Amino acid sequence: MLDAQIERHLGDFDLRVSFHIDSQVLVLFGSSGAGKTLTLHCLAGLITPDRGCIRLGDRVLFDHAARVNVPARARRIGYVFQHYALFPHLTVRENIAFGIRHMPDARQRVDQLLELVGLTALETRHPAQLSGGQQQRVALARALAPRPELLLLDEPFSALDAPTRTELRREVLALQRALGIPMIFVTHDLGEAYFLADRLAVIDAGRILQIDAPGEILRQPCCLRVAQAVGVKNILPGTVVASDSAGCRVRVGDVTLDAPRYDFAPGARVFVCLRPERVMLIRPERVGQSSSENALHGEIVREMNEGMNVTLYFRADGARLMAEQDYDIQIELPMYIFDRLNLARERRWTVSLRKNAMHLFS
Amino acid sequence: MSWYPFWLSIQVAAVATLGILVVGLALALFLARTHLPGKIIVETLMNLPLVLPPTVVGYFLLIVLGRDGPLVRMFNVNVLFTWQAAVIASMVVALPLMVQSAKAAIESVDPALENAARTLGSTEPEIIWRVTLPLARRGILAGLVLGSARALGEFGATLMVAGNIPGRTQTAPLAIYDAVQAGRFADANTLVLLLTALSFLSLFAVSRMQPRAQRQRSDA
Repeated sequence: MLDAQIERHLGDFDLRVSFHIDSQVLVLFGSSGAGKTLTLHCLAGLITPDRGCIRLGDRVLFDHAARVNVPARARRIGYVFQHYALFPHLTVRENIAFGIRHMPDARQRVDQLLELVGLTALETRHPAQLSGGQQQRVALARALAPRPELLLLDEPFSALDAPTRTELRREVLALQRALGIPMIFVTHDLGEAYFLADRLAVIDAGRILQIDAPGEILRQPCCLRVAQAVGVKNILPGTVVASDSAGCRVRVGDVTLDAPRYDFAPGARVFVCLRPERVMLIRPERVGQSSSENALHGEIVREMNEGMNVTLYFRADGARLMAEQDYDIQIELPMYIFDRLNLARERRWTVSLRKNAMHLFS
Repeated sequence: MSWYPFWLSIQVAAVATLGILVVGLALALFLARTHLPGKIIVETLMNLPLVLPPTVVGYFLLIVLGRDGPLVRMFNVNVLFTWQAAVIASMVVALPLMVQSAKAAIESVDPALENAARTLGSTEPEIIWRVTLPLARRGILAGLVLGSARALGEFGATLMVAGNIPGRTQTAPLAIYDAVQAGRFADANTLVLLLTALSFLSLFAVSRMQPRAQRQRSDA
């Protein structure tokens, strides 16, 4: 449905992205300044790329080589802005009708959209009289009114409180499934990205580092920056010492770990990564009873309580993975498990870095 | 006393206000929305009447409107020493007030709103008409009121190009000067009070408009 290759220089920033989506949700995930908004502006025709090609359905919207550049107003791409960008001098109804006032069925269309976003009772209000969540619903209805072929959403919920955000995410996804309209959603919130994405693109410094199903990216980040971006806390630099059909053996610090099979030759410098919630804790007296691949004995040196979850910092006795820091492994678990295991008191544990939870990249 | 100077002043100010609405809005849009390198020169030239002595402005106008000026040569229209010349003099001195206020108001309209209109299918003139100008209306109105108050009180340049012909081009400020010169203080007092009241009301109205214009900027 959408094919895009975009190149754009802006000062010393350099955007170079290319992607393709069908009737699904693509999430552009990355920190601020990564080029997410610039990408959307190029797609919508608000900024002209230096080079590249944008095709939507059977229409060419931009082609540098063929000198095609369809203006924003004719692209049929809906845009939901970060701070809503509702027209403050118009009512809810007038805002939604803004893009379709010439259409013969505009009235019914607005009625239908008001109902869709549950704002029929507020149609005569002005944006300043609405809550943030209501404003963003109006913005959504306004963008959908001209029946766009693609909907762009630029961090639409970042200014909302958490419950409203969760609710709107669900509504947007339901809306997308009902209308079947392709969507590109920009966010720097990993949970939001994971929830909404059919495909997730991790973008950093103007480049798409990895684009895949969100589960794949969480399990198998392609490089250090993606791993860091998607919250892999344990990223251990090491060297492959052996590699065969059974798996790799990787030397990390003073320890040799059993890792799954990857195409790395012995001697290759790699990163071993392991999500903090996938580290297994084993009581010292039970070691040997359950599977304890890559077992390390040691103690919890400190923890960081984040309310619902707690992060433990675990240091191995003797042979260390990361001798230059005061801990080797970060472990994340829910608070109720922390309480149930009495981790505040009992500090000596064995951790198992399970082979099938590990991922290697160079 | 004759009420003619007062009504002439009102007429001159009204026509001049209409003129700066059209010329001023076009200039304000140009200055606020384009990035041409020569822009700063245009803006500085336009602001000159704010600091130049009125006689200097009047002298320049004499040259432009006079016998060898472009208006006479190209269109054979000579407006010197008519009330229309007073309108032109008033417009020139009032224009910078209008443009500065309108330009600031237009610049303060969130560009995201104009982008939103673009993605909703609006052409650039439609965006100006339906988004930019309605949102900048308070600043535009404030500039217009300030400009019309300035036009009403114009003296120096008017004297140079329209003269001081009683019953034809003598506006209220000129009539006050004449009345004081001739010792007719009762006449002077009446006109002084009227002009002061009108100016006070204008400035009062403008100060009521300004803070709301700023509030509107932040609630988008």
